[in-house]
Amino acid sequence: MKNDAKREKTIAWIITIILTATSLAWVLPIVIVLINSFKDKGSIALETFKLPNADTFVGFLNYTNGVNMGNYSFWTCVYYSIVITVLSVGLILVCTSMSAWYISRVNSRFAKIVYALCTFSMIVPFQMVQFTLSSTASMLHLNTPYTIPVVYLGFGAGMAIFMFTGFVKQIPLEIEEAAVMDGCSPVQTFFKVVLPMLSPSLISVGILEAMWVWNDYLLPYLVLDITKYRTIPIHIQYLRGSYGQVDMGASMALIILALLPVVLVYIFCQKYIIKGVAAGAVKG
Amino acid sequence: MSEVILKNIKKVYPFSGGSGNKGLFGKVKKDTGGHRTGHLQMTDEGVVAVQEFNIDIKDKEFIVLVGPSGCGKSTTLRMIAGLEDITSGELYIDGKLCNDVDPKGRDIAMVFQSYALYPHLSVYDNIAFPLKISKVPKEEIDKKVREAAEILDITQYLDRKPKNLSGGQRQRVAIGRAIVRNPKVLLMDEPLSNLDAKLRNQMRSEIIKLRHRIDTTFIYVTHDQVEAMTLGDRIVVMKDGFVQQIGTPQEVFEHPRNLFVSGFIGTPTMNYFDARLEKREGKYHVITNGLDVVLSDDKQERLNANNVEDQDVILGVRPDHLQLCDNGIKAKVDVSELMGTSSHLHMTIDNKDVIVIVPTEGNAINYHGKQIQLTFSGAVANVFSKETEKNLEY
Repeated sequence: MKNDAKREKTIAWIITIILTATSLAWVLPIVIVLINSFKDKGSIALETFKLPNADTFVGFLNYTNGVNMGNYSFWTCVYYSIVITVLSVGLILVCTSMSAWYISRVNSRFAKIVYALCTFSMIVPFQMVQFTLSSTASMLHLNTPYTIPVVYLGFGAGMAIFMFTGFVKQIPLEIEEAAVMDGCSPVQTFFKVVLPMLSPSLISVGILEAMWVWNDYLLPYLVLDITKYRTIPIHIQYLRGSYGQVDMGASMALIILALLPVVLVYIFCQKYIIKGVAAGAVKG
Repeated sequence: MSEVILKNIKKVYPFSGGSGNKGLFGKVKKDTGGHRTGHLQMTDEGVVAVQEFNIDIKDKEFIVLVGPSGCGKSTTLRMIAGLEDITSGELYIDGKLCNDVDPKGRDIAMVFQSYALYPHLSVYDNIAFPLKISKVPKEEIDKKVREAAEILDITQYLDRKPKNLSGGQRQRVAIGRAIVRNPKVLLMDEPLSNLDAKLRNQMRSEIIKLRHRIDTTFIYVTHDQVEAMTLGDRIVVMKDGFVQQIGTPQEVFEHPRNLFVSGFIGTPTMNYFDARLEKREGKYHVITNGLDVVLSDDKQERLNANNVEDQDVILGVRPDHLQLCDNGIKAKVDVSELMGTSSHLHMTIDNKDVIVIVPTEGNAINYHGKQIQLTFSGAVANVFSKETEKNLEY
């Protein structure tokens, strides 16, 4: 008995150490970027992994430099990033949750084909379609921050539908039938009953899609008219000093600024992901 | 007036997988295959879940559909609700043909087996939901919700979410949601089957009280024959998609139409004996294991009307209709169960299990291993054809 307890404790310690090491390895690049964002330009290249000291510490200078640098306003990039992310995620959530509901509930060949296509779209690499996509997008005038969400809907739908379908299947059909008996039309059933019950999954899918859209570089770079519209990742790529030199300090600072909203949203919404909204709906 | 008339209703589930389940989109996935097809009739069209269903349900009548799993009772209820397509036949609610009317247009409410409450809404909002959908003014909604909550004694839980309620309370909320809009017909699909035995008894009596408080037509589905007997004005016994008998609980209990109904209704189940039906001097006699009993006058009348000939029959007598006597069917008691006010005696006669209920009358006797003799009156003997298993009185 005593030996068993001791062995379990040892195993628990080993697991904790392994997981801590893995977590550190995961967080390390972000920590290095954070540390370097407070160092001067010269020391970033020479002493990348060192903590800032009295000579190399520059405070928030990199941040102010980064924000004011270049001939394109950082705040305009923030605006476009927000517009694209909010519109894309909103469009993806509304359209794919509806589609997933239809796919889960309707027993037709069409629904099966749509589901198969969506699942298949997840395995098509973006690089395969990037050039045809960029020319199609510009032909259809999808090359503005207000229309690019349609392109994101196309790319994000696969994973979102795949996830939502699993969630919708967990909702007992009887609840929807109860809504029908209570006089709901299909649209009312979806918005008043199904969608609120999907809220934990809406948040998890929303976070995943938001992180992807917010951080995405290649798609907006290829599709958007960069002379007019830039997102934060594109702006960071274009941060150059007066002689075309890349200002690493400013880049690091802007990367941290770009990361901040995503991390905050994730921390804030974590509890909603865990929360099970269906508890108490049916027997059990 | 809210009469419900079902004329020759038939439901076929096609083999192709499309269940014909109406739901929201016309064709909704529902598990209808596999176990359901057990004894159901198969045709070229598919599996026949319900057929030849005819009934005129009167205004404010309490009808109970009862039968074993897969007999088609829930399917029938769902067809009345509009959640399931009717393959053929006619459904009239309040004189209006409703085959193709959507559930919303039928003015009926339904209580589901699993309660089907909206988990994201409070008890108040759950009950108010159908009224909000119908755009009833706020003050009226509040009044009606509070009235319903009072009837069901759930006023103190109005702010809670369903997950914070017990099974019985959830079921009350589900009933509240159904009665709040005064539907023409109230459908209940095994509403008590998820509750424990004690709560089930309590809720059963509350449904009886509710029935007297709200004047509406009830159609209630259950597989529990006690619920059927206690709640229904009339009960519909179903098996394998066919209606076996429609009648008042007493009719069905005393004059079961066939062997299935006789075995399904009544606890403990009816006892069966191999017997001979003979007509002597104008009177029908039933003879089994040396006991000769003359049938009662009303049974004589019915058998005479059907011109029943002498034949070997299956004799059915209920456990509480068998009596101990000095000269009857001999048997040895294998097990004697004292149930409080009565003893259940188990024995084997002609290789068939027989149960006799003997009232203890304050003097409990242990009959275990004792030799006893049994008899019964001609008024309680049911004679079934050996070939068709039908009651020869019908």
